[in-house]
Amino acid sequence: MGEAYRFPLRVVDGLRLERSLREVLLPGRVLYDDAGHAHTLPRYFYEVPSWEHAMNIQLSQSFALWELIQTDVREAGPLRGFPRYVPCSITMLALCLERFRDAVGTFVHIAANGGYRSPRHAVNTGTTAHSWGTAVNIYRIGDVQLDDREAIERYAALARQTLPGVWTRPFGSARGQTDDQLHLDFGYVVSVPHDAPADSLGFEAERRAS
Amino acid sequence: MTTRVPLLPAAAPPGDAALDSLHAHIDALERTSGVHTIAVAVHDTETGVSFRRHADRWLHAASTIKVAILLGVYASIHRGWLLPHSRLHVRNRFASAVDGYPFRVAADRDADSEVHRSIGKMMRVADLAVHMITTSSNLATNLLLDLVGLETVQRALDDLYVDGIDVRRGVEDERAFEAGINNRVTADGLVQLLRLIAEERAFSPELSREMLGILHAQEFRSGIPARLPAAVRVANKTGDISTVAHDAGVVYPPHRKPYVVAILTEWAPEASGRSATIADISRAIYELLTARPSVGGGGNHG
Repeated sequence: MGEAYRFPLRVVDGLRLERSLREVLLPGRVLYDDAGHAHTLPRYFYEVPSWEHAMNIQLSQSFALWELIQTDVREAGPLRGFPRYVPCSITMLALCLERFRDAVGTFVHIAANGGYRSPRHAVNTGTTAHSWGTAVNIYRIGDVQLDDREAIERYAALARQTLPGVWTRPFGSARGQTDDQLHLDFGYVVSVPHDAPADSLGFEAERRAS
Repeated sequence: MTTRVPLLPAAAPPGDAALDSLHAHIDALERTSGVHTIAVAVHDTETGVSFRRHADRWLHAASTIKVAILLGVYASIHRGWLLPHSRLHVRNRFASAVDGYPFRVAADRDADSEVHRSIGKMMRVADLAVHMITTSSNLATNLLLDLVGLETVQRALDDLYVDGIDVRRGVEDERAFEAGINNRVTADGLVQLLRLIAEERAFSPELSREMLGILHAQEFRSGIPARLPAAVRVANKTGDISTVAHDAGVVYPPHRKPYVVAILTEWAPEASGRSATIADISRAIYELLTARPSVGGGGNHG
């Protein structure tokens, strides 16, 4: 990739999207986690024009965009079609996954609903980093199905060694735990690329728009 | 101008003696086969004749409940909440109806491995419905029930005035089973439901035909269809657990309207001969409803 290369997706300001999209993406909105801590949702998104684009855009050597935006019928209606919107942090998530893939030395399979999903996705049981585009659920690594304690804890430990600061959901069946996939979570990171549209709305206009 | 003469005289409605003889046949089977209970309901859409034997008795539904869940899925499609090609994440993790405690469908106890192979990926709702019915996939069943919800299924039954089907949980929910929370059906209930589908009165003719098409693709044929002539098409759903063996379906003999039948049986866990008993009763019903009147005492009308 030479200097002429430009990332092929347009950055859009979520606050300027039409109402039906704002109501499900909740750009810039504050959500509270189970502990009552406030987290601000992403405001800037990449606009994905079609599934073909998602299939063809390689975010890292091993991960294409489509793998991180597969959501099922429980995703909010306006986000089941195209264009679709995904937080700009998704590119950094792919780079972290690439490093993890190097460490495991084989294919890493992201579950459906296991990459970005909107705050209105019906499977959400609370505030989740998936809505920031900074968490993944991995259901298989190579030929190993991650559905028991041994496999989940082994790869969770490897992830923590490989990816400083990553949080892995503990094994178990209670709320906040996992027993059928590995959850890697990089926290509530918001990315604002340099080519994001200039912020000229002003606070009151932004509030009205949201 | 020519007059078309049917090759065979039309079937006559069975008289009381014939119906009594079917009762006697089933009574004899109950005495000799080791079965605890045989419940049967039949409705013949050609003649309007019905046959009922313990048809309002509640029994564990086993996998016959999947027909009701199919109805719930198509209710959601009818209301625009789902499309047949909507995609659903295949995940083997469900909440018990007792207390929400998570459970899984064991792959080695499920007749269908294809859905298990898709764990982590997505499958279309219509494909899951096919797996739920044709190979009785428990994983597909729980995924679909989880998606549409118990209330949607029960409401679809209520809206269509189907009595005799009580949907209370998904399948393989051992905690619910031990707590006595089970899906239940009566033979009458299954016949009511299948009649709606067969007569294209379930939501719309198009959606009824789609459901019927799925039932026609049934791969488990050792019950109602087993001893019927090859030309007879059957759209059916079986249900087997250790203590019950059921089959319910729509039977299409050639050159006449179909009849709808549910045969529900209850057994000791170690008993054998379940499918054969259902097949025997099915054959007897077929012979009863398709018996043709003798033509002029067997004279030469050629």
